[in-house]
Amino acid sequence: MKLRNWAKTTVLAGAMTAIAGFAFAGGTLRYATVGEPPSLDQHVVTSDLATTIAHHIFEGLYTFDSTNSPVPLLASGEIVSEDGKTIVIALRDDVTFHNGQAMTSADVVASLNRWGKYGSRGGLLFGNVESVEASGPYEVTIRLSSPFGPWKNIMAFINGGPAIYPASVVEGAGKEPIAPENYIGTGPYKFEEWQANRHVELIRYDDYASPSGDADGYGGARVADFDTLEFIPVPDVGTRVAGLKAGDYDYAESIPGDLYADLEADSSVTTILNGGPIFGLVFMNSKDGPLKENFALRRAIQTAINKTPALQVAIGPKNLWRANGSFLPNGNVWYSESGTENFSKGDAAAARAMAKEAGYNGEPIKFMVSTNYPFHYDTAIVYTKQLAQAGFNIDLQVYDWATLIEKRAQPDQWDLFFTHHGFVPDPILISVMNDNYPGWWTTAEKAALKVRFTESSDPAERQAIWSEIQGLIYEQVPTMKTGDVYSYNIASPKLQGLGEATLIWPSFWNVSK
Amino acid sequence: MFVYTFNRLLALIPTLLAASILVFLFIHLIPGDPASILLGDTATPEEIAELTRAMGLDKPLWTQYFIWLSNVVQGDLGTSVFFREPVLAVIASGAETSILLACMTMMWIIVLGIPIGILAATRHGTWADQLASGGAMLFASVPTFWLGLYLILIFAVGLGWFPSSGFPSITDEGGVFNLRYLMLPSLTLAAPNAALIIRLVRASMLDVAREDHVRTARAKGLHPARVAIKHIFRNALIAVAAAFGFTFAALVSEAVVTETVFSLPGIGRLVVQSILRRDYPVIQGVILIIVIFYMLINLLVDLAYARLDPRVSLS
Repeated sequence: MKLRNWAKTTVLAGAMTAIAGFAFAGGTLRYATVGEPPSLDQHVVTSDLATTIAHHIFEGLYTFDSTNSPVPLLASGEIVSEDGKTIVIALRDDVTFHNGQAMTSADVVASLNRWGKYGSRGGLLFGNVESVEASGPYEVTIRLSSPFGPWKNIMAFINGGPAIYPASVVEGAGKEPIAPENYIGTGPYKFEEWQANRHVELIRYDDYASPSGDADGYGGARVADFDTLEFIPVPDVGTRVAGLKAGDYDYAESIPGDLYADLEADSSVTTILNGGPIFGLVFMNSKDGPLKENFALRRAIQTAINKTPALQVAIGPKNLWRANGSFLPNGNVWYSESGTENFSKGDAAAARAMAKEAGYNGEPIKFMVSTNYPFHYDTAIVYTKQLAQAGFNIDLQVYDWATLIEKRAQPDQWDLFFTHHGFVPDPILISVMNDNYPGWWTTAEKAALKVRFTESSDPAERQAIWSEIQGLIYEQVPTMKTGDVYSYNIASPKLQGLGEATLIWPSFWNVSK
Repeated sequence: MFVYTFNRLLALIPTLLAASILVFLFIHLIPGDPASILLGDTATPEEIAELTRAMGLDKPLWTQYFIWLSNVVQGDLGTSVFFREPVLAVIASGAETSILLACMTMMWIIVLGIPIGILAATRHGTWADQLASGGAMLFASVPTFWLGLYLILIFAVGLGWFPSSGFPSITDEGGVFNLRYLMLPSLTLAAPNAALIIRLVRASMLDVAREDHVRTARAKGLHPARVAIKHIFRNALIAVAAAFGFTFAALVSEAVVTETVFSLPGIGRLVVQSILRRDYPVIQGVILIIVIFYMLINLLVDLAYARLDPRVSLS
């Protein structure tokens, strides 16, 4: 009898579970990620995966519209003084944090100060900042030591950018990422829980105050349709694809190029290109070894390489890559052809002669690459072969990513290393512009151009200076761009409002199913 | 038996110390450090050094080891660098999946491996034996990632009977019904192990079947099924018991591929990811617990020997 009652209860519980699941169907978006981010703290973490999750929780004063122009988000506008050294930012007065507290200038000042001191990209702006003050309950004044043209682009870029936290969270925080219990933002979704290796769960913030205006890129109105966003680590790509087809996931990221044609033809799947391409970079060592200050030898290496075969091997379908030498893609305001005639010559004979003239005698050139990113390794294999054909003695050193990161910080350990770079809205954010980035490109010519580039506030003038900097990169070759890679994701056709491509990271406000 | 068990448990201590020193040295001597990984591409050497200092990783290796050991003795395995949670909590969240997966897999191994093994032995040389042996060879040879993906394609994508991946805790919404998430992974993991058990049961039973006491039992006119089960299988079980013990222990730690294919939040995947992230406290904690687990299983197997075989004396 007891057994029968137990069985009835079990069946009833199962039925209730099924009914409950059905009633909430459509309320949860399940996103299959490649892994787990190191943290969601946007001040210090620059992982794209972290931002894909975190930009639903955290917001900055500005964001980007569909043309990658900065538009107000938590700000309502700004006034810049004529000399470009004083910026007064007006804040929206209707914004609350996920803990219910109203957002005021005190929170913005504390957040900007922490980001400026410890943030991954904050130092770029705060190198020029004299003070950040609350000049009213909803007004912040930033005083600069010299005009800084890219200030708004940098503030609009949430990845490693100035997310606004409550002052109580950031005032005591240092360089170490903020802990999950303090993930308190102003975005349309709030942090619910992070279960190791299971999921990061966000829930709709019902008191969210949306910016006004039509949705445009990340700007304008934001409406959270889902009750829950669940970001689930699914490391195996076969499982991500099968799981989406089986209906277990609504969205899956980072699908390899060799599946693109099949998935494009599959009506049960929608493919979505990532609008901002990533690009591979081969950095050269400016501090130590045979490439140090030997720009002629670097140009010889650059001349030896034909980028197209490597892109064909490493990426695959033609519409997922561009052999584009401009650091920012065609159609972007920063697109420039300066120096790009040297992007992909692939002339082994000329390279051999140039190397000889540069004093190269066949000494080993240490080239570090990681297998954690297959496209790094595949590209490096093609380059190694091309360089060998031009007479270079390449010592290809293959490591896991953690080892490569440690070794690249030691100038005596490498001559070349392979990495990649995410799309950025302003060239000042490209890692080669950072003097401290491994490679340590700090020539006087770069320094002079960088000062002019950052001090100018005139868009046309800044574009012209960037062209000069790109030309200098092709001349001094602190790094070699390998081409644009358009990664793509897949989604359930039931999702509405996704568009054909993401702006930079996928976003799920104004999306429903 | 109590003295034996106590002595064996006592012997755990030096083994654990040796294992912990080896693991500590191994993980700290490979290149890569958690501070660089945590702070990302734009961190300066000064910032990396500051975080390294804050995590206590700038101290001499032996100092770090003794600090870790003294904390472990007090039941504190440290805090995960990556998850910023106590290591015990991180391991516990993975342990649920791994233990349930191992139990379900063992169930399949027993349900499939023993009857088919007995059938193959008792029908030695017939088509049933050839089918069982051939099938066992096939499943022992098939890579688990391949089998796992095909099970997903057939039973999750095609038929929609089971979820393709993931595993919500049985304490979450869905309760014990969440075990359906482990159906395909447990079958995947069971396939090669059941195949080995089939071959082991078959081979052991064929060995025992040639012994004198079996011939005597048959000569006495006992029913063939009684001979097979009571006189052959029970004696063959001694070798099979050891295999079960080690298979169960291995299932917890060696399910990395299956856990990756099915995105299960288990111990195997946790330890591999922790190595890639250089999350030292988690690696050390997991390996310590796996070593303890192996040794306890080993002890249980030895105790089971004594139960199964009266000739074995624990004294």
